[in-house]
Amino acid sequence: MGRTSAAGRANRVRAARTELGLTQAELAAAVDVTRQTVVAVEAGNYAPSVYLALALAAHLGRSVEDLFGDGPAAAADRPHDTEVHS
Amino acid sequence: MTDHRDDLPGDLPGDPPGDTVRTSDDDWFLRAAARVGDLASPFYREERQRDVWNEASAVGLQLVLWLGTAAAAAMVWIGGRAALPYALTMFAVVGVVSGVTLSYARRLGVDVEAPARVFTPRLVPYLLLLAAFLLGLVHAVPGTLPNSFLVGAAAGTGFAVAALLVSARARRRSATP
Repeated sequence: MGRTSAAGRANRVRAARTELGLTQAELAAAVDVTRQTVVAVEAGNYAPSVYLALALAAHLGRSVEDLFGDGPAAAADRPHDTEVHS
Repeated sequence: MTDHRDDLPGDLPGDPPGDTVRTSDDDWFLRAAARVGDLASPFYREERQRDVWNEASAVGLQLVLWLGTAAAAAMVWIGGRAALPYALTMFAVVGVVSGVTLSYARRLGVDVEAPARVFTPRLVPYLLLLAAFLLGLVHAVPGTLPNSFLVGAAAGTGFAVAALLVSARARRRSATP
């Protein structure tokens, strides 16, 4: 497992994004990353930097703890797609 | 709560004094390396892209080290004396690439030569490749290296291999609950 991995840690980015009706591409453009990065973050395959985590939280109207904290909802929100398509 | 407002960063009790991390602005080598690596490219702004590229570069570096050394060893064994300039050039390229990589990391405060990282079983096949290259040099041009150097190199390689095997075994034992 590479060092960019989040070691499969769950997060609630996908749930927050779909709740707002945003596509991955729209969210990616809003926080100035590629769509593949959003896919990887949602899948728990990439641990974002603190700055990207803050940008995601600000754009999704949540706190970083809400999105990436270890709360019980995190496991339930674990996404199924782990592939990053280019 | 203790008020540390007057303390400089890194100057709290227990912090080693003057322990700072350089940036690329401080150092000609880092500035030159940044040019060579095109580190100001917009490509590096996207953080995951940058991380993945860094990993890919690490894989590429390892391949250069291994294949370069293997190619140099093969050249001296197959081509003999005639291949010597090419083999030495190849080996020099491997040396420069490794040297620049290590120096870059070291200047930015990353200790890539910590024994725990260097002395792993991964080093054994590389040392054997290196020994094959050195022996190939001697084979290609008898008398190139003094016998004392060869004895020292052989003993050093043997010692390093033995130390790695012992440390790997100790690590395995300590990892077993």
